[in-house]
Amino acid sequence: MFELTAQNLLADWAGQFLDPRKRLFWGYLGSAFLIALIWMVLLGRERPVSACRKLLARDLWCSASARADYAVFLINTILMGSIVPRLLGHAAVAVFCFSLLHDLFDGRASLLPDAPAWAIAAGFTLVLFVVDDLARYVVHRLMHAVPLLWAFHKVHHSATRLNPLTVLRTHPVEGILFVLRGALVQGLCIGIFVYGFGDRVSLVMVLGANAFKFVFNALGANLRHSEVPIRYWSWLENFLLSPAQHQIHHSENPRHHDRNFGVVLACWDRLFGTYCHSEPNQELRYGLGPAVADPHSLYTLYLLPFREGVGFLHRIFIRRWRRQLTPPLVPTDQYQSNRAIYEID
Amino acid sequence: MTLKNCLVLAAAGLLAISGPALAESYGPFPVTVKGYGGDKSDSTSYTGQAARQVLHNSLKKLAGMGDGSNAAEIKSQMMAYYAGKEEGRAILDPKSKDDFVVLQTEVDQISKGKDLKGKTYKGVVNGWPRKMTGSEVIEFMIDKAATAKGGFDPLTGYDYPQLISKFAMGAVFYNQAVDNYLDEKLAANNKPNNKPYSEGKHYTGKEHSWDEGFGYFGAPAHALSLDAKQAYGIAKKKDIGVADYNKDGKVDLYREMTYAHAYYAADADKSGTNYLHTIFRAFLDGRKLITAAEGEALSDAQRAQLIGYADTIKTNWEQVIAEAAFKYAGSVYKDLEKLQTIVESGGDANDAFRAYGKHWGELKGFAMALEAGGKDLGEVGVRMNRLIGYGPVLLGGGQVIGIDASGDYVIGGNQDMGNYMVHMLKLQKLLAEAYSLSARKNDATAELENLIESLGESLATEND
Repeated sequence: MFELTAQNLLADWAGQFLDPRKRLFWGYLGSAFLIALIWMVLLGRERPVSACRKLLARDLWCSASARADYAVFLINTILMGSIVPRLLGHAAVAVFCFSLLHDLFDGRASLLPDAPAWAIAAGFTLVLFVVDDLARYVVHRLMHAVPLLWAFHKVHHSATRLNPLTVLRTHPVEGILFVLRGALVQGLCIGIFVYGFGDRVSLVMVLGANAFKFVFNALGANLRHSEVPIRYWSWLENFLLSPAQHQIHHSENPRHHDRNFGVVLACWDRLFGTYCHSEPNQELRYGLGPAVADPHSLYTLYLLPFREGVGFLHRIFIRRWRRQLTPPLVPTDQYQSNRAIYEID
Repeated sequence: MTLKNCLVLAAAGLLAISGPALAESYGPFPVTVKGYGGDKSDSTSYTGQAARQVLHNSLKKLAGMGDGSNAAEIKSQMMAYYAGKEEGRAILDPKSKDDFVVLQTEVDQISKGKDLKGKTYKGVVNGWPRKMTGSEVIEFMIDKAATAKGGFDPLTGYDYPQLISKFAMGAVFYNQAVDNYLDEKLAANNKPNNKPYSEGKHYTGKEHSWDEGFGYFGAPAHALSLDAKQAYGIAKKKDIGVADYNKDGKVDLYREMTYAHAYYAADADKSGTNYLHTIFRAFLDGRKLITAAEGEALSDAQRAQLIGYADTIKTNWEQVIAEAAFKYAGSVYKDLEKLQTIVESGGDANDAFRAYGKHWGELKGFAMALEAGGKDLGEVGVRMNRLIGYGPVLLGGGQVIGIDASGDYVIGGNQDMGNYMVHMLKLQKLLAEAYSLSARKNDATAELENLIESLGESLATEND
């Protein structure tokens, strides 16, 4: 059980930058910086010093939007530290799934008994990565499509400047959904694979992180939340979403709304009709526009979503309730006929 | 402190210094009885308990000696070790072997006139059919074991040596220690410290009560100088060098042997827990506290401290039994997996079924032992008994569901092997949570947890 102590908090804050399983690991930040620098120098014809200045610009890293990102990161660690241990965990889902399969198939399966352990490990790592990516797409799309969920996901889209820490600009309610999503996806995959393949299942790891995630992160995942519009070749963007494509997802322009929900693979967006290529020399404005007056205040980031969510529920349920209480109007012709029957004058 | 006591303490100090390690041993302790005029200089005494340890070991040995034609003879012998007090009973286990010579060959050489039945749990055992008391269960099993070849009944899957042994350890040793010596005997007026245990004895009431509790645990007196592997190895007669503390070339079955739950504590401790030394240390500290009272009645504060040591012992002892049940639930799960593979491939399942029966017997014995601690296990006990059932699920799906008026087993039900595997998973989860287990040997879901561990837990909320 996580205990809310200063030591734990410091460890978790620091862990974000020291743990290779986290997106903000210093190594990934460093590789993202290098990739951005090379891209700006080679393709943007910037001088290295100028490129560095742009990447480390004070008006970006000290902007109101960035300061809000930092505040959310610090506050969420405290809040989630108290909430996460009380949520449904990976182990509960995995054991449930593992047990259920014993009942469904009367005992333990031993699939592909001659397959080498490395092949099972590679298969498990790949399946976990793909299913997790699909689950992220589905949940992300729901966060946009369902007004109640959008009230909370808007917090992430309220960032008007993008930096790698924007990835943690998340309302705690949305954070809880992410934890549950992770427990469900990873628990199911682990339960099914261990049931079928036993102790041959393991995770292919690099520096303690899922190998696929390591590659994704090392190749500049942090640039998705940056203002460096790195594009891939058009053919490659059909398979892997580029940073520029995710920046389009954050665009204030209505033309870009509800596009590119995916994280790594582009196939989900292509399959479900939400795909959008990046554009050359794209210059985007980020955020929610003038509809939100003060997008970086703690009130907007933490309390407004509840207010909007309650308002949404109120509209839905109160209207429905009122409709049920109000007697339906009697059609005129039936009214006339009633008058005749009861001889009302 | 008398001159004699000073000499005993000095001797104990010298022994500790000249021994194989500087760790403290359980005894010798000086005589503190006021007015004692005898020639005894060591008040430590748990020979009766050590005698019962070898009675239990021997009973287990006999339970596996039936050959199908010697039932009456085997039953008579088993009853002699369970309920008899006759002189001349040979120690059937532990016996000397070439590189591990034991000092005693007869029970009487440790203590005379001891039995197991008189000390067996007198409450009802819910985990066994027909609401029998502890001794009724053991005598029923003895009767059945006598007719089973090698102690194993293939029709029910019962392995009687394991069932009798594991249950008796709980029903006698655990019950007597935690529900008697570490419980009611700690009351101020029950076996007080300012009187000899009985007329003329050289130990006080509290000293001997405490020693008796220690004797039932089954640890060698020098257990603090042993690591888990060494203490475990003594019971397996592996290394006389670590067992023979006084270096006389023989292992004293009274003071130098590992028995029963001390052996299982050491087994669990090989996985990183510290049950053996925690329990031993609490016994030792408690005994020192009583000795330091120098034959005076214990004050309320001293008794409160003693009760604290007793609580530590009780909690850890219960965990040791639960750890063993957890381990064998995992063994049963693995056995079922093997049986399934053999049956599906049309192979010979005899050996695998025998191993399954053995492990199930150990599981059941330990689970029933938990009931014998004298406290109501409540929902945990009910769930545990329902998950395990009265017998192992047989290859045809049947299981012992009761015992009829003639004492014959009733086999019924139709449970899938797969479903019984789920029962073992649930049982491990139940035991781990109810008893806060940490050794968790043979954890059937360990692979799941290892993978989850490798994925890492995050409190952060990375967005998309």
